[in-house]
Amino acid sequence: MSRATLWSTADMDEDLAEAVDVQLSMYAQQGQNSAVYDQLGAQMEQLEPFLAIQQHMAALAAVPDVVKSFIVSFQQAILNHDLPSITMFYTTTFPKLTEKFYARTEWPEPEIIAPLLSSNEATEDQIHIFLVLYRDLYYRHVYSRLHPNIDDRFHSYENSCELFNYLLNSPSSADDESDEPAPVDLVLPEQWLWDIIDEFIYQFQVFCSWRSKVKSKTDDEILMLADGTGVWSSYSVLNVLYSLIQKSKINEYIIALKEEQGKGGARTAEEIAESISPYTALPLYRSLGYFSVLGLLRVHVLLGDFTLALKVMDQVGEFLLGGSSFGAKANKPSITALPTLPATHISTHYYVGFCYMMLRRYPDAIRTFVTVLNFFQRMQRMRGYGGYERKDQYDQIAKTADRTLALYAMCHSLVLPGSPFTRLDDNITNTAKERYGEQMGRMSRGGGDTLGAFEELFLYACPKFINANSPPYHDPETIGLMLSAETADSGEGALASDPTQRHLRLFLSSAAAQSPLPTLRSFLHLYTSLTTEKLSSFLDLAKLSESNREETAEDLEAEEAIQEMMVLKQNSRSVSRVVPAQGITDKGKEASSAGAAAKGSLLEGEMISTSDLNFVIDDNTIHIAESTVGRRYAGWFIKNTERSQRVLDEIRASPLPKPKPATVAAPPPEAQKKPKTVAWGGARA
Amino acid sequence: MIRNFRFRLVGVGVHDTSRRLYGAKSFFVSLSKIIMSSSWISPPTRTELIENLVSGVDRYNPSNVGILEDYLYHQIRSQEYDCLANLAILKLYQFNPDLYNPDVVVNILIKALGASPLPDFNLCISLLDERPPNAALDEPDPLPALLPLLHGLHHLLYRCRFPAFWRAYRSEQLESLRDNYTVECAGFEDSIREVVIRAVKSTFTRIGTDRLSLYLDLHSPEALKAYIDKLDWTLNSDGTVVSIPPNPDNQIEAIVVQESIKLPQLGKVISQAAKV
Repeated sequence: MSRATLWSTADMDEDLAEAVDVQLSMYAQQGQNSAVYDQLGAQMEQLEPFLAIQQHMAALAAVPDVVKSFIVSFQQAILNHDLPSITMFYTTTFPKLTEKFYARTEWPEPEIIAPLLSSNEATEDQIHIFLVLYRDLYYRHVYSRLHPNIDDRFHSYENSCELFNYLLNSPSSADDESDEPAPVDLVLPEQWLWDIIDEFIYQFQVFCSWRSKVKSKTDDEILMLADGTGVWSSYSVLNVLYSLIQKSKINEYIIALKEEQGKGGARTAEEIAESISPYTALPLYRSLGYFSVLGLLRVHVLLGDFTLALKVMDQVGEFLLGGSSFGAKANKPSITALPTLPATHISTHYYVGFCYMMLRRYPDAIRTFVTVLNFFQRMQRMRGYGGYERKDQYDQIAKTADRTLALYAMCHSLVLPGSPFTRLDDNITNTAKERYGEQMGRMSRGGGDTLGAFEELFLYACPKFINANSPPYHDPETIGLMLSAETADSGEGALASDPTQRHLRLFLSSAAAQSPLPTLRSFLHLYTSLTTEKLSSFLDLAKLSESNREETAEDLEAEEAIQEMMVLKQNSRSVSRVVPAQGITDKGKEASSAGAAAKGSLLEGEMISTSDLNFVIDDNTIHIAESTVGRRYAGWFIKNTERSQRVLDEIRASPLPKPKPATVAAPPPEAQKKPKTVAWGGARA
Repeated sequence: MIRNFRFRLVGVGVHDTSRRLYGAKSFFVSLSKIIMSSSWISPPTRTELIENLVSGVDRYNPSNVGILEDYLYHQIRSQEYDCLANLAILKLYQFNPDLYNPDVVVNILIKALGASPLPDFNLCISLLDERPPNAALDEPDPLPALLPLLHGLHHLLYRCRFPAFWRAYRSEQLESLRDNYTVECAGFEDSIREVVIRAVKSTFTRIGTDRLSLYLDLHSPEALKAYIDKLDWTLNSDGTVVSIPPNPDNQIEAIVVQESIKLPQLGKVISQAAKV
C-alpha cells in the first residue's frame, strides 16, 4: 500500500527528505497517479522542515557538551589553517571521543550539528566544506565500526565525490577573471589525506564485493542498485585518481626533482614545485597526487591488472623503493619533499611485491618484502605503537605486515633453495619460520601437500580482488537466471565467479609446476656428472604417483626426467630488476660491472640465475656444477675491530679512578693506557 | 696489505648474446622479445599511435577498442607480438562488457601461449572477469569451452612437456581451436617451436635428433635439417646429434662466491691503525 509506506518512512528521523524523495521517484516510475503525488509532495515539503528541525534540536540537545565544543574548535582550527591543532584533533581527540561516546553508534548527523557551526564567523562555503569533511569522518566511522547499509554506501559515495569535486574544480576567487579552477585554500594533515584516499578505495572495494553477492539482496536494494549504476563505478574511481594525479602533476614534479639532483642544482623542492603549476606548489595537492598514485597501484591490483599497476608507479616507484640516486635507503629519503607515512610504505611494498609475485619474478618480490619487513620490525621496536597514537591504525598496519610475511614465506619456498637470494636476510627468514614454519616446511618439501599449504597462505595473504562490473541488476531476466543458477550448483558456481579463486588457480598452477623440483635437485646435488638413465631410475624410486603415465617404458621415463630438467633450468632463471655484481669468471674475463644498482621502471629487468646448482645436458649425460659461498669473515672482523677501538677510546677518555690513599699514585696512568684485551673467537661460517 | 677480493657469481644472465647470434632475421625477431626488458614493455614494432594509447589515459576510452583490436589482427597476420597492448584490450572488455568479443580473447590467449615461460598467459587470464549468463550475444560464447583446453596447453608448455603438447594440439578435442583460430594466426606453430628452442637452448649443449624432432614436431629429416640450419646449429657427421652453440645459459662453471671488501669499509680500521 503506497500511502502506508510513505508515512512510515516519515517516522524515521534519518535523512527525511532523501528517504521520501527516493520512495516518491520509485513509485512515480511505476506510473501512479501523479496529481495525488504532487499534492502529497507539496504537503510533505511544507511540513518537512518543521518536523526535521524539531527532531534535530532534540538530537542536538542529546549530544554531549564535550563533543559540541570539540566540533566547534575543530572547525575553528580548520578555518585558521592551524595545522598542528588540526592534526591533534584528527589523530587524538576524535578517536578518544569515539571510544568514549560513539563506540557502537554513529556520530551525530551532519545536519544536527550544523547549527553549532554558524557560531564562528564562517561563510556558507566554509561551513559546507567543514560538513563535507565531517561527513568523511562520520562515514569512515560507520564503515569501520558499524555495518553500512545501502543508503550509507550511496551517501558516502556522494560525499566523496563532493569532496573531490571541491578539491579539483573549485572556481577561482571572485577577483580572478578566468574560468579556470583554482587550488583551494585548505590545509590538512598528511595522515588525513592518506586516509581519505585509502578510505575511498576501501569503500569502493567493499561496495564491489557487497554488490556481487546477488543472493542476499532485498528487492528494494536491487531496485536501488538498478538505478544507481553510476555509484561506485570503476570508471569514476579511476577518474578521481587520475584527475588528482594530473592536476597535481606529481610525475612531472618527481622528474624535475631527479633532474635537479642529477644536475646538482641549487633549486629547492619548493621552487621546483612552483615552477610546474600552482597546484603543485601546495603541499595539499602534492600529497594528494602522490597518494593517488599509490591508490591507483592498489586499484589495479584489485582489478587483476598487475603490469598496469607497476607501470603506474613508473616515476614514484624509483623514489619509494630506493636503489636510485634519491636516497641510500628507502625509508630515509634524502629529498623530503614527498610525504612518507609508515602506512603508505607498508601498503605500497605489499602491493608491489604481490605484483612481482604474480609475474613470477620471485627475487624482486623477495627483495621488496624484505625491505618493508625490516622497516616494520624497526618500527615495532620504537615506542609503543611505533609512533601511532591509535591502536586500530597500528593494528591495520600490523595486519598488512603479517600478510606480507606470508607472501615472503611463499616466495621463499618458490625460489629454489640454495640460491643466493635465500641468504638475503636471515633475520626475516627466521621470523617467517616462527610464524609460518609449518606451512613453509610443507611447501619446500615438495610432494603431495605442497599445494594445500600454498592455497592456505595465498588465501590469507592476497588482496581482496573485485569484479569490475556489477551483476546486471538493471536486467531482471539475467538476475533471475543468476539467482537460479546459484541455487542450482551451490558450491561450484558461486566460487567460479570469485576473482580470488581465479587468481588462486593461476598461482597454484605455477606452484604445482615446481613441486617435483626439490626432489630433482636433491639428486643433482650428489653428482658432477650423471646419465639420464640413472637419473630416471632414481626418480622412479622416489616417484610419487603420476596420474598421466600411460606406459612404464624406459624411454618414457627418461623423457619425463629430461623434461623435468628443462623445467628446473627454466625455474632457475628469473627476471630481476637488480643485477648482482658480476665479477671475474674462472677464465679471467671481466663480466659486466653492473653492481647492485636498480634503474628504470619497475617492469624492467634482466634475466639472472637464481640457483646455485647449474647443469647442462650433453646428449644423454648431465653435467653439474655447483657454486658455493666462501667463508665470510670480513664483516665480523671489521665490526669487532671498530668495537674494540671504541672501548679503548672510552677507557682513555674516562676520568682517572680516585687513587686509594693506601696505594701509591703511580699505577693509575698506566692502568689507563693499558689496552683492554679482547678475546677473538673463531670466524663465523 | 689489503687485497681486493672479487665477487664471483654463478650463471651470468645477460642476454644480448641472443640478439647477436640470431641476427636480424625477422623470423627470429620475436626471440629477442622474450626478455622482459624494455622490448617487452614496448616492442619496436609498436607504432606511436598505439604507444600513446597504451601509455596514457586514452586506453580507458571504449571507442579506442577498435584501434587496439586492429592492432591485434595486425600482430596475428605478421607474426608480431605486443603483450601490453593486448592486455589493454582485455582491460577495456573488463570495464565494458558490451564490447566483449570472444574471438579477440581467444586470439590474444593463443598469442600469449607463444610467450611461455613468461607469465603473459596468466596475466591475460587475470583480466578475464566472469561474465553473467548473457542472452544478448548472437552466437553462443565459445570461450568457456575453449578456456580449459587453452589452460591445459599452457600448462603443458610451462612444464616443458613438448611431445604431450603436440599430441594434445593435434588431437580431436582441439579441432575447433585449430580450424577456427590457430589456422588464422600466422606462424603459430613456429612460435610454439620458439618456446621449445628457448628451453632446449638453455638446457642442452648437444641433443639427439630424435628427441629434438619429437620436441619440435618436425618428423621428416629434411624439415628438421632446414630448421636447424636456420638456427645456425650444427649437425654431427652421423646426423644423429645436434650441437647447440654456447650461450650464457648452457655454459656452466663451478664458482666460489667470495666476498668483496671495498676499501672504504676498511677505512676506519686503517685510520685507527695509522693513529697508533
